[in-house]
Amino acid sequence: MSEALLNVSRVSKTFVRGGLLSGERIAAVDDVSFQLDAHRPEIFTIAGESGSGKTTLSRMILNIEAPSSGRVSFDGVDLATIRTAAGRMDFMRKVQPIFQNPFESFNPLKRLDRYLFATYRRFAAAARQATPESAVDETLRKVGLSLQEVSRRYPHELSGGQLQRIALARALLSSPRLIVADEPVSMIDASLRISVLNLFKTLRDDLGISTIYVTHDLATAYYASDRIIIMQRGRVVEAGDARTVLKAPQHPYSRRLRDAVLLPDVPDGAVDASDGAIDLANASERRT
Amino acid sequence: MTIAPATQAGPSDSARPILTVCDLKAYYRTNHYGIKRDVKAVDGISLTVRRGEIYGLAGESSSGKTTLIKTIAGAIRPPMEVVTGSVEFAFLPGYDGLHRAPPAEVARIRWRRLSCIMQGSMNVLNPVRRIRSSFVDFAYPHIGGDRAQFEQKVVAHLARVRLEASVLDAYPRELSGGMRQRVTLALATICRPEFIIADEPTTALDVVVQKEVLGVIGGLQREIGASVMLVTHDMGVHAYLTNRLGIMYAGRLVEEAATGEIFRNPLHPYTKRLISSLPRIGDDTPRRGLEGAPPNLADPPSGCRFHPRCPLAMEVCRHQVPAMLESAPSHRVACFAVNGDDRA
Repeated sequence: MSEALLNVSRVSKTFVRGGLLSGERIAAVDDVSFQLDAHRPEIFTIAGESGSGKTTLSRMILNIEAPSSGRVSFDGVDLATIRTAAGRMDFMRKVQPIFQNPFESFNPLKRLDRYLFATYRRFAAAARQATPESAVDETLRKVGLSLQEVSRRYPHELSGGQLQRIALARALLSSPRLIVADEPVSMIDASLRISVLNLFKTLRDDLGISTIYVTHDLATAYYASDRIIIMQRGRVVEAGDARTVLKAPQHPYSRRLRDAVLLPDVPDGAVDASDGAIDLANASERRT
Repeated sequence: MTIAPATQAGPSDSARPILTVCDLKAYYRTNHYGIKRDVKAVDGISLTVRRGEIYGLAGESSSGKTTLIKTIAGAIRPPMEVVTGSVEFAFLPGYDGLHRAPPAEVARIRWRRLSCIMQGSMNVLNPVRRIRSSFVDFAYPHIGGDRAQFEQKVVAHLARVRLEASVLDAYPRELSGGMRQRVTLALATICRPEFIIADEPTTALDVVVQKEVLGVIGGLQREIGASVMLVTHDMGVHAYLTNRLGIMYAGRLVEEAATGEIFRNPLHPYTKRLISSLPRIGDDTPRRGLEGAPPNLADPPSGCRFHPRCPLAMEVCRHQVPAMLESAPSHRVACFAVNGDDRA
């Protein structure tokens, strides 16, 4: 067995709501364990409805939140033992986040290229010989954009899909080994969603970057991911190969979640508006 | 641009369409320090909605869906302006739109005949008033009678959206998102309106709750026999609920047909790419997203607005606007590649 890139072992997170003594304890994440292999890059999905603890778990992996119990270690280093600024920088260089709403993750008054150059100076300048412009341009080309399109532009001038790609390019500048993407496509239009998902696949295949994909959308999870865990109220209820789990979910909750996915298919002869009359009997059948 | 009738009403279809939108243009006009800018959010849309059907409108963000809905609902505020065109409801003849009707007339039909469920509508409830007060504010003036009867009516109606009478005593923050959404659904439908406008009614909800709320919308629609105009970018919702579907791109309607027909046999290149890019569980074929950037509505491409991203673009697409023509029975599409270039 080769070493683990990320090892999440028996992690729990409890929040206390209310007063110090009378507070109500809420287990946002409850005893979750999984591992990502260092030599086999993959797209790992954490799925569940809101309140299932998937975002809290991803925040613990990003070391924004400390677990109440259990251990998260990246590349053999326990995240709780990172104390120095240099240690944190080193961790951030290897693990990069992408957030849900690209319109909120960029400051509307700040030009987009400034983010890219700031990240370049912070993480990549020492490692590369190239000029900042060519390094940034090269990274933008990996996500299907170019510096020419991005320079001197503000967030409102670009579409959600483009902004999310810039967020991804920014994350790639530090040559990370893991990207933690929290609902990266839920705010993007359907026609652009697929291109962002394809990008994660390209990163995995060409650059060997693993992705933790946090989502509630099982259809995109099926399309993009290799392995999946399904969470309910902080616990993992089902885990395994994404295709096997999603085709035949075993746990009742996973089944319910899968059945709630609205498929873009209409059965034959369900509704035919061509004759002017609407067949309500068939329409209601379709809804049940 | 010629105004194509949406679909020829057959002799059996005796009822007039409940809503007829004719060559509607609504722009956002700004004039800052002498710099004039028109954002053509709705640019020449014609459609009809029949009685008792759920008409879906789909499109990307900034394709003009919400502007169209606002114009139909008469919620026009500067800088938005209706440039040309008319919006005619069967129950409000002779005014060419809610925004042109006198306020007394609008007050008469609002909630009774036309009601709206707006985007993020879980947040429309007043946080410091109980749900009961919201019902009294909205519906009591329209329903009247004594308060005990009114309350009975409200409770009966809440049962239709699968809520208990106890929610009347609750404050909005005590209810979950799905329950609040069902309360607003009940508010919008308690006067049994003939036409309901729903703008992204389930976008903020969780997947499991979304399906439940959509089921409630479908059930209510069947029960009170209303027509619904449902706007959302989620194609799964359209497949689940709507009867007919119009696809918008950059402020124009590009295709319209029965929902099943759109999913099985899309004709417009944009619709084709949109439908084929949707991931499905159990389908492993790799998919391609749509290349290129969405158009800027302040300076839209000439001719057909899809031509810079279109794989079938021809010379004529760059100069002329394709007309919305019926290329199959009840299937309208605006594309030269489909309809043939008979105007050049």
